[in-house]
Amino acid sequence: MAGQSDPHISIFSAPEVEFLAEDEVVEIVPNIRMESLNMICGDFGPFFPQIPSKVPLWLAAALKKRGKCTIRTPEWMTVERLTQVLEAERESPREFQPLPFHYVEISRLLFDHARDDIPDIYMVRSLIEDIRDVRFHKVETGLETISGRTHAVKLKNLSAMEVNIVRPFMVRALQAFYKHDSPQMIQQADTMGSKRSQGADRGPRRDLRPR
Amino acid sequence: MKGRSVKLREAHRGSGAASLCSVVWGPDGSRVATASAADASVSVHDLVAHPPRPPAAIRHHRDGVTALALALGPICGSLASGSIDHSVKLYSFPEGEFQSNITRFTLPIRSLAFNRSGSLLAAAGDDDGIKLIATIDNTISKVLKGHRGSVTSLSFDPKNEFLASMDSSGTVVYWELSSGKPLHTLKAVAPNTDSDNSISNVLSWRPDGEMLAVPGLRNDVVMYDRDTGEKLFTLKGDHERSVCALCWSPNGKYLATSGLDKQVLIWDVELRQDIERQKFDERISCLAWKPNGNALAVIDVMGKFGIWEPVVPPSMKSPIDGAPSLQGRHTNGSLLFDDEDEKPSTSGSLDDVIDESHGESAPTSHKRLRKRSAVYATDHSNGDSEGEDDLLHQIESRKRNSTKCKESAGKGKEECVISGKLRSTRMQEAFQPGSTPSQHGKRRFLSYNMLGCITTLENEGYSHVEVDFHDTGSGPRVPSMTDYFGFTMASLNENGSVFANPCKGEKNMSTLMYRPFSSWANNSEWSMRFEGEEVKAVALGTGWVAAVTSLNFLRIFTEGGLQRHILSVTGPVVTAAGFRDLLAVVTHASDCLPSGDQMLKVKVFNISKGTQSVNCRLPLTPCSSLTWFGFSEEGRLSSYDSKGVLRVFCDQFGGSWLPLFSSIKARKSEDESHWVVGLNSSKLFCIVCKSPDTYPSVMPKPLLTILDLSSPLASSDLGAADLENEFIISNLHLSQMQKKIEEMVASGQDTTGLDDEAFSTEAAIDRCILRLIASCCNGDKLVRATELVKLLSLEKSVKGAIKLVTALKLPMLAERFSNILEERMFSESKGPRGIPSVDSNATVAKNVPPIKASLTSETIKIEPSGSKPPLTLPAAHFSKQERSKESKDGSATMPLKAIPKVSKDHERKIEEKAKKEGDTDILKITNRGATKEGNDRVELKDRSETCSSNGSDHRESNRPANPFAKSSTNQGKLSLLDSIKKMKKADHEKDEKANNKKPRV
Repeated sequence: MAGQSDPHISIFSAPEVEFLAEDEVVEIVPNIRMESLNMICGDFGPFFPQIPSKVPLWLAAALKKRGKCTIRTPEWMTVERLTQVLEAERESPREFQPLPFHYVEISRLLFDHARDDIPDIYMVRSLIEDIRDVRFHKVETGLETISGRTHAVKLKNLSAMEVNIVRPFMVRALQAFYKHDSPQMIQQADTMGSKRSQGADRGPRRDLRPR
Repeated sequence: MKGRSVKLREAHRGSGAASLCSVVWGPDGSRVATASAADASVSVHDLVAHPPRPPAAIRHHRDGVTALALALGPICGSLASGSIDHSVKLYSFPEGEFQSNITRFTLPIRSLAFNRSGSLLAAAGDDDGIKLIATIDNTISKVLKGHRGSVTSLSFDPKNEFLASMDSSGTVVYWELSSGKPLHTLKAVAPNTDSDNSISNVLSWRPDGEMLAVPGLRNDVVMYDRDTGEKLFTLKGDHERSVCALCWSPNGKYLATSGLDKQVLIWDVELRQDIERQKFDERISCLAWKPNGNALAVIDVMGKFGIWEPVVPPSMKSPIDGAPSLQGRHTNGSLLFDDEDEKPSTSGSLDDVIDESHGESAPTSHKRLRKRSAVYATDHSNGDSEGEDDLLHQIESRKRNSTKCKESAGKGKEECVISGKLRSTRMQEAFQPGSTPSQHGKRRFLSYNMLGCITTLENEGYSHVEVDFHDTGSGPRVPSMTDYFGFTMASLNENGSVFANPCKGEKNMSTLMYRPFSSWANNSEWSMRFEGEEVKAVALGTGWVAAVTSLNFLRIFTEGGLQRHILSVTGPVVTAAGFRDLLAVVTHASDCLPSGDQMLKVKVFNISKGTQSVNCRLPLTPCSSLTWFGFSEEGRLSSYDSKGVLRVFCDQFGGSWLPLFSSIKARKSEDESHWVVGLNSSKLFCIVCKSPDTYPSVMPKPLLTILDLSSPLASSDLGAADLENEFIISNLHLSQMQKKIEEMVASGQDTTGLDDEAFSTEAAIDRCILRLIASCCNGDKLVRATELVKLLSLEKSVKGAIKLVTALKLPMLAERFSNILEERMFSESKGPRGIPSVDSNATVAKNVPPIKASLTSETIKIEPSGSKPPLTLPAAHFSKQERSKESKDGSATMPLKAIPKVSKDHERKIEEKAKKEGDTDILKITNRGATKEGNDRVELKDRSETCSSNGSDHRESNRPANPFAKSSTNQGKLSLLDSIKKMKKADHEKDEKANNKKPRV
């Protein structure tokens, strides 16, 4: 859990990322008349029946649970758009298509709370799962390619969930790079060979500590 | 040149599989009949109806309809349909009334064709033999046997000598009609379509009868000679697969072909080249040229049909130019003509056509006259035909339409304009605001308003009606209802719903039904039946229900069903709307103008008082029809027409309609249209529909879009259209509010709430005016700026304006503004009499110099209330001025004694409000200004005292309490100006920020 202070597993759990995603704004169509709601994060409403208005996802879910609104499917969550995105994802093995930063979480929340408001829900769901799989796979293969020759991986448009998954790996990998790239290490490796590596390790570690 | 893509809409719901569909045009080009082999009904689409109506479905067949043919019979048009259920049925057209079963086969029908006069019908199908049937008595005159497979296409030679037929194996046979013998048999010249019933081989004679077009084996079209049956030439081009449908243009110059490759090509037959093409999603099963226009009706195998218009590029010769006759008939996508009793009219001149239509009944002299005036004086000839029977009149009017088309032939664009005009030449039919046309098998709205909706779904013999409120939280839950009447009209408000159905024959009388949503008594719904009368429109309000009937009766019932009033309205009703006590009825004032403008009239009745408050014409955009009518949330009468212009009735200029919204300006893309649901004082609620739909469907639930009202302002040199718009709209709003306050005052009600609202509106207008002044100054429109200053209603705003122009370094303007302010203060000091009205049309009053007599009389009258501290008196006057502005429009008839109390109250109210809502900056200014003014007054008072000690004016001593008394003298004027300047200077630093920032925002 991110709240815990073990730095090595500083990963957000899926519910935590979902919680962050709940602040994303979605459009709802209320079926009641309601005064505006004054929340800490802002004022929402007033709401009029059949007139769309924008609220954060958590509020939308709460209203939906009480049967007071329908959630409008975001524009990117249509079968048409997702098919395009999936195709594009498959076509370009190194690039990520622009999707909302929290697309995994938003779609999950909508599937949980507003399944009746999403047209072609099964299709949408499987498309999103496919997209997610393709992208996760892409992240993995992208990182695998990092070697002596490849120094860069294109990670533009990476979404929250994807970032979260690669975060611990990245942290440790970068740290390892730092360790191996340090001049003493290279020098020592050159002069003394691999047998002394044990002792050589300490040098850079000490250097790291003040940070 | 690529035309825009043709939008198809569903006409027949198929089974999902491709099925043969057919389309034919009505003789006047206003209707199209479609059929599908997957659907047992024939649909007649009225293309020019206002508002767009759903297709009329003719359901007599028990199975899919495979063939259609249309003829103009002796009395009216007739439509024949052939079906898989083995029968051929005849209907009247366009009414769609079943006339007879012409014949029966033992196997499904595949093809039908009328000859040109409609006297003979050829029918064929999977049976052995083509039946030739005399339509006059439905007797089979001949059976032509010779085809091996099922006959898929028939075509009568326009000269009525031959019949060409084609079977699914691709064999073409020329039959001689007189003997019934085959003349030529061309074996397997066309593709074999045996395997697929959704493809039919077709053939078609050119309208002049000289050649026969048949799809060839090499994705081409082959022309065969009329007499010898020899191949003349082929049209070969871009079809990648074989041709499955073809159709000649009315003049025979162009040929439209549809291929299995899902494209439709237009050929110029003389050049033997394709000139236009269009790709579709599905294979086009049938094509039909419009008999009197540059349009092509297409229907695909999924039952979706559309109109391609214009087909032939405007630069080219029109497809109807030089057509042999405009009475062309289509059968299964082919044109058939004959000239039984006349020599072929090769020129296609209109004279011939008109002769034809009047040959029997019109005297020769008339005929000649008509001949001469045929083209340009058609109205005249129409006048001549008055008194002749209906048919002739009908033909005449059709001829007139075609004349118009002819005149514009070859000028594509103009033609569109004219056909647009033609569309509205009918008086529009009655409709319910917020209803959508019925679509077979789909739920539709009977009524949709800001409150909720009534929907109905037609089933076999009954309908399922549901009432839903948008606000599920507070609206009552209404159980759904099964309706055996077939309600087509409904209206809904918070108390109940009213339904009505039209008369359908003797058994099903027109019925009006009212269902209250909640009542203390059981069974409080009621219904009324009308004998020999038909309900055309319904409306309801608080405690009453109204129905307007075909006898032009306005019947008003109480909520409980008591027949309260029966009035006669002055014309056929168009629509009706109710709002609380008000009932508005729109009727036709007269037949529509030749230009197509509807002549409508509106009356507003107050049901509870029994009065009629409005009786005026209802304006519409030229060539449009009324599509929505109702009341705004404040109860203002509003209308919306088919050209997308919203008009609101207001009391300005003795009651007039103001255009307040234009759909064309507001839409984001060209295919959007707005379907109005309701409006309030500044916003319009509507549903945005994407073309080709012009109305919303029930599922998914339509969403309301909020749009701002906007006047159709001319583009001014100021470049501040938004401000100008806001200025007009809020002035309108204010004037409405003032009228309401006036009414409430007259009836002795408390107007506090409204006063506050009016005040904040005034403040908002002032803010807007200040911004306008700023942009006027920037645009160097100083005169306009001065005019605007005169329109400011609050004194503080004028001061703000002065500061504004000072900051903008326009001292000349600042001086003028100060003069205006000064004059204003004079007139204030004068009291309610001669108060300048800030209304736009009454600024003259400001220039009237104060009259001493009135001053003295006023002071004398005010004196008795001298216990009032002098400090508040001027302010009281000021607010009094505002007040009288609001309530009396400067007529100044309120008794003066009432002033101190009223004005005091008013000021207190304003101050309270200002304190309460201190965050709106104009109010802040008001508040601060009030105290500031107090200071000024002290100052002024001092001055006046010094002045009076000078003894310059004898009267001065009589009224030391009134600081403004001084203003009658020259000296006083100066001192006043000084004081203003002084005050301005003093306040400058303090208020600069607030006042100058504001107008610039």
